Amino acid sequence: MIRFENVTKVYDQKARPALDSINLEIDRGEFAFLVGASGSGKSTFLRLVLKEDRATSGAVYVAGQNVAKISSWRVPRLRRGIGVVFQDFRLLPQKNVFANVAFAMQVIGKSRSVIRDTVPEVLKTVGLEGKEHRMPHELSGGEQQRVAIARAVVNRPGILLADEPTGNLDPTTSMGIMGVLDKINQNGTTVVMATHDDDIVNEMRKRVVELRNGVVIRDEAKALYTSMIPVVGQSRRLKDASGREAPDGGLPGNGAEGEAQR
Amino acid sequence: MRLAFILSEIGSGLRRNLSMVVSVILVTFVSLTFVGAAGMLQMQINQMKGYWYDKVQVAIFLCSEGSTAPGCASGPVTPEQQQGLNALLESPAVAQYINDFQFESKDEAYKHFKDQFSNSPIVDSVTPDQLPASFRINMKDPEKYQIISETFSSQPGVETVIDQRQLLERLFSVMNGASLVAVGIAGVMIVCAILLIATTIRLSAFSRRRETGIMRLVGASKTVIQLPFILEGVIAAVIGAALASGTLWAVAHFFLGDYMSRQYPDTAFISSGQTLILVPALLILGGSLAGISSLLTLRRYLRV
Ligand SMILES: Nc1ncnc2c1ncn2[C@@H]1O[C@H](COP(=O)(O)OP(=O)(O)O)[C@@H](O)[C@H]1O
Ligand SMILES: [Mg+2]
Repeated sequence: MIRFENVTKVYDQKARPALDSINLEIDRGEFAFLVGASGSGKSTFLRLVLKEDRATSGAVYVAGQNVAKISSWRVPRLRRGIGVVFQDFRLLPQKNVFANVAFAMQVIGKSRSVIRDTVPEVLKTVGLEGKEHRMPHELSGGEQQRVAIARAVVNRPGILLADEPTGNLDPTTSMGIMGVLDKINQNGTTVVMATHDDDIVNEMRKRVVELRNGVVIRDEAKALYTSMIPVVGQSRRLKDASGREAPDGGLPGNGAEGEAQR
Repeated sequence: MRLAFILSEIGSGLRRNLSMVVSVILVTFVSLTFVGAAGMLQMQINQMKGYWYDKVQVAIFLCSEGSTAPGCASGPVTPEQQQGLNALLESPAVAQYINDFQFESKDEAYKHFKDQFSNSPIVDSVTPDQLPASFRINMKDPEKYQIISETFSSQPGVETVIDQRQLLERLFSVMNGASLVAVGIAGVMIVCAILLIATTIRLSAFSRRRETGIMRLVGASKTVIQLPFILEGVIAAVIGAALASGTLWAVAHFFLGDYMSRQYPDTAFISSGQTLILVPALLILGGSLAGISSLLTLRRYLRV
């Protein structure tokens, strides 16, 4: 479904490449985690899939198509086949839940009746039935992210990209979101999720692709978020900042901790 | 559906940026009013030229009742005097300077007068015997006017010799100057309008960057994303152009048609109907100004 062939991305000639000769294939229907420290190139990977940026060299294939060969007026069609979710939800604050999801259908010209039928269905999938008329500010972070996921999948894309979707959420809420993503994956959507949330990765036991400084250093099926001491430390420090956990030096063993918190 | 969506986007854009939209309307209004004013001046010049310019270069007005010029001391021109003048015009000494000449009787003068001032109330208050008969001379070389003037001014029965072309040209050059000034002001104002439209579109794109960002991600086409912004500018500019057209029509109708033609009854002013041909030009000019400047702005500020 997604194939990277020797892909290098250089933003700044003087700095190291954001991605360095990446070779990677993600199959249709797969669920893959993209893990690694901040700046390791996760978001860059996702941006290349979306053709938000061009690879400096190498080829990116999405659904068998080399994205570099897609003319600019056909890029929207590529993006209709890809749903995206971000850490910061990106809902439209003046639209209610229904309108936020419907927006994704309106702008590609879906008819009113199709929208009326599809949106409630998708809201049910993400566990938001009965909240159609809430405004975003009346929702918890987890609920907002569910709206964002509903919006990303309402046009039934073959691929769902999630860039640290649980980055702003507490562990319990995060697991709820993972449940939604898993359900969407079970329905046949390929899911690629960038994260440095070790608890989640350890819980899900999916394929893990680990990046460091733009290089794939590990690609393992049914894997754990392991052997990344500096990254774990970072993830711990982020949690400390949110005041949720006592500072304890940020050493490994987070999987167990995550269990304890649930 | 998509059209309804684009329309609602335009509506919300216009509402969100109301003060900027109003300023775009006003600036286009003012700039296009100047463009139109220049157009009206040219039409006015053509109106006057159309009747006079090529027909007449020098006019020898003959004495009529009540003429006070020294040459008319003996009263209105007699047929003999008129014969003499005709002969003089045909004599080789004078004929070498002129292409041809015509005699315009009082009745013909009245008829021309009526044609020229068809939309002026003065027509009703003038009678044929108030207008002087004249010889209308088409010069080979307009610069030789002096010779005709010297030859005929002192002839009996001649009230006055007028180089009408010179009179008209003086007037036309004033009007041309005025229309150049109008064009100059219009140019500056159009630059203002373009910059203001660009700024408005940029602000609008900025204030809606969340929406457009999402539209991009879910695969909305370039048209759906950009059209509301472009149309927002175009609609504002077209409203401005409509206001300008209305103003010009009102000027022609009320100011020229009513007031000026009463103040200067001996001048042919353009009618309000004639200004209507400026309307489509102004609408197209306003719309395309906005369209082009918003397209250029969006290319830079709204990634698709
Ligand atoms: N638009 C950009 N311009 C310049 N450098 C960038 C840009 N985006 C990312 N980078 C750089 O590329 C590297 C990878 O960034 P990113 O893909 O965002 O990593 P991650 O998502 O894993 O944190 C970083 O060093 C970052 O500074
Ligand atoms: Mg990132």
